Amino acid sequence: MKSISLYRDNGTWLCRVHPFTKLMYIAAAILCPPILGSLWAYAAAIVVDIIILVSAKSLKRAKNLIIFSFTIILTIFIIKGLFDAENATPAFAIGPAVFYKEGLMKALRTGAVIINMLLSFSILVLTSKPEDIADEMERHGFSPRLSYVISSVFSIIPQMMGTMDTITDAQRSRGMETEGSLGKRMKAFIPLITPVVTSSLINTRERAIALEVRGFGGKGKRSYLRTWQKHRGDKAMTISLAILIILASIWRVIVWLI
Amino acid sequence: MAYIEIENLKYRYPRTDRLALDGITLKIEKGSFLGIIGKNGSGKSTLASAIIGLVPQFYKGAYGGSVRIDGLDAAKVPVTELARKVGLVFQNPFNQLSGAKDKVYDEVCFGMQNFAIAPDEMARRADDILKRLGIYEFRDRNPFDLSGGQMQRVAIASILVLNPDVIILDEPTSQLDPAGSEEVFRVVEKLRESGITVIMIEQKIDKIADYSDSILLLDDGRMIAYGSPSEVLSMDGIESHGVLPPAVTRISRKLSIRKPDGYLPVNIEEAGPLMKGRIAFRDISDKSRSTGPEMLRAEDLFFHYREGLDVLKGVNLSFDARPTAIIGQNGAGKTTLAKLMKGLLKPSSGKILFKGKDTAGATAASLAPSIGYVFQNPDDQIFKPRVIDEVMFGPLNIGMAAEKAKEKASAALHMVKLDNAMNRNPYDLDLHERKMVALASVIAMEPDVIILDEPTIAQDDRGKDMIRGIIKELHKNGMLVISILHDMDLVALSFDRVIVMAHGQVIKDGSPREVFSDSQALMEAGLELPHVASLARALGDDGIKLSEEEFLSSCTFTG
Repeated sequence: MKSISLYRDNGTWLCRVHPFTKLMYIAAAILCPPILGSLWAYAAAIVVDIIILVSAKSLKRAKNLIIFSFTIILTIFIIKGLFDAENATPAFAIGPAVFYKEGLMKALRTGAVIINMLLSFSILVLTSKPEDIADEMERHGFSPRLSYVISSVFSIIPQMMGTMDTITDAQRSRGMETEGSLGKRMKAFIPLITPVVTSSLINTRERAIALEVRGFGGKGKRSYLRTWQKHRGDKAMTISLAILIILASIWRVIVWLI
Repeated sequence: MAYIEIENLKYRYPRTDRLALDGITLKIEKGSFLGIIGKNGSGKSTLASAIIGLVPQFYKGAYGGSVRIDGLDAAKVPVTELARKVGLVFQNPFNQLSGAKDKVYDEVCFGMQNFAIAPDEMARRADDILKRLGIYEFRDRNPFDLSGGQMQRVAIASILVLNPDVIILDEPTSQLDPAGSEEVFRVVEKLRESGITVIMIEQKIDKIADYSDSILLLDDGRMIAYGSPSEVLSMDGIESHGVLPPAVTRISRKLSIRKPDGYLPVNIEEAGPLMKGRIAFRDISDKSRSTGPEMLRAEDLFFHYREGLDVLKGVNLSFDARPTAIIGQNGAGKTTLAKLMKGLLKPSSGKILFKGKDTAGATAASLAPSIGYVFQNPDDQIFKPRVIDEVMFGPLNIGMAAEKAKEKASAALHMVKLDNAMNRNPYDLDLHERKMVALASVIAMEPDVIILDEPTIAQDDRGKDMIRGIIKELHKNGMLVISILHDMDLVALSFDRVIVMAHGQVIKDGSPREVFSDSQALMEAGLELPHVASLARALGDDGIKLSEEEFLSSCTFTG
């Protein structure tokens, strides 16, 4: 089955790190730079992100996510560089278009925020199985329903995409053109989407029954097939990251007071 | 006290005014095997839902009487609690997968986690059940990648690991191919020996007759008969309740063969000793010959989804007006061949000619006026809020005027006996009726060729009968009917030509009699004889008897 999860177990150390440690890392990577306020802090966070991804042999897959975001970042540079309200100092000009320093700096900051977020999230998403994240959340007191939703989405969406192909075939067989002009495609939308929705509603109802008869809705205690083998250093790392956030905050307050 | 006690149970679904269950009183002892039979809509699944508490807890509605499971009130004790005692497996294997697990092993353990079973006990039970059901080798596979029969065994395993006292199987094989059904029935056989109480709802009457200690016949929510298989299936006028007894029983009735207890035999084991040596058959022979001009032709057809893995390996076929069945196991290439003929797929090499013209350039949509295709699952196409509009969709697409489209749609709905459902919402109809809507929506386009993919799935005996009538009528109107089928009885009764496929090739092509006489080809394709033919075979016939009528007219019985 095609999986839409980005997770691949490539056997590196990062795959064995507890998802919560990675979540804590994301918190630190996203919070520290704005608390510290310096662009250099963003640069540092991005460098750390990259080092971690390289050591887990996952940078190549993260790259695809980053490239995807480049169009957005580029747009931000153009708009802010040309039109930002605080623009005063011209930096350079391409033909008649003059780019300003203030706007470009703002765009640089926004770009850094986006890249830092994407990279730090990809550390979690590329190297932790959604099912494991969900299981661990459930074990730590989150609702089993929430964890079910997280893990089932990854197999149910590809199934829906498969259904979509069959539906397209069924409607084409009844003389409906699905290829060609935009008008034709627009006309094809309702006959294609309605069966997807109704059949997934029917399936959901049946699946709800199937879960119920396997005791899913029960309020009693649950057990777990596997216990997570904590990676050595999980705890130390989580605590250090938390301390880092606190230190950054304290530093900020001190700077403020002085 | 019996393990399950049902007392004057009455139930009505919300927003309906008909009782789905009407005065059911039943005691089921621990360790017994109960078969529930009846036509679609007779209340079988509703009764199953009531035993596990889904009726009324999940479906709501009006409820009277009582259902007690080991002393617990099924209307009040939460379903998740009752699930410790009663397990339920239903038709669609795919919808029973939790969808949250990507390994068969984890899927099977999902329920045990909800019941807080200790990890080592979980592992022990999962290993044991997976081995018993013959799916241990799939434990690390993704359950969504399995075949229907394998998936359904995973569903059964997921219930059995919870150690229930009772397992309810609600038509567990109705959506599977013969090999998949066989896999599941082998498991059912094992269950029967294991001492667990089994309640099985099934349209495959021969299987029910074989397995059950007792049979309950429902019609319109009421108990019509309850007793031993012979007792119930010997009942006069059972057909009027939409149930066709096994071929053995029907033929025994005609020949007045009864067991010492006065009832009719229900399987070959019972009938054999009563009939053997007293019955002699005359041979019937016929040959399939082509009739009329060629409609459709496949020339040296090859197809692959992935390079190097040919699904079709050089198929050459010519179709004339004869109703034609294509049979073979899943994966033999039947559906691929049908989709190629319809233009939904394009051959990797070779050609398809419709009335002599190559269809290579044509889209599936542009072929719609000439070649129709009815898909297995009606829910993959239905989107209009009114039945008549749904059926008119195709005709309008192919350029028929609104008036004419309406006329054709009405005629098609008349053919599938849904005249009075014209203005209803298709989703208020049952699955077997929705299948008929899908069928009508293709018939209304009046194509020259109509391809039916498993038309009898989800149909009861009445529905199958209707489909036989429709095939006959379409043929009379000059349409070429091609059907992919798993139901050998229907193949024997309704088709003039049968094509057997195995591993991407045609391995036999001829009249039903010629095909079913070729035991080599049947074995290679993993197919069985129709029920009547296998009875005659067991009684020493070396020919093939396709129908009850043929059986009776060609045999002499010394009573």
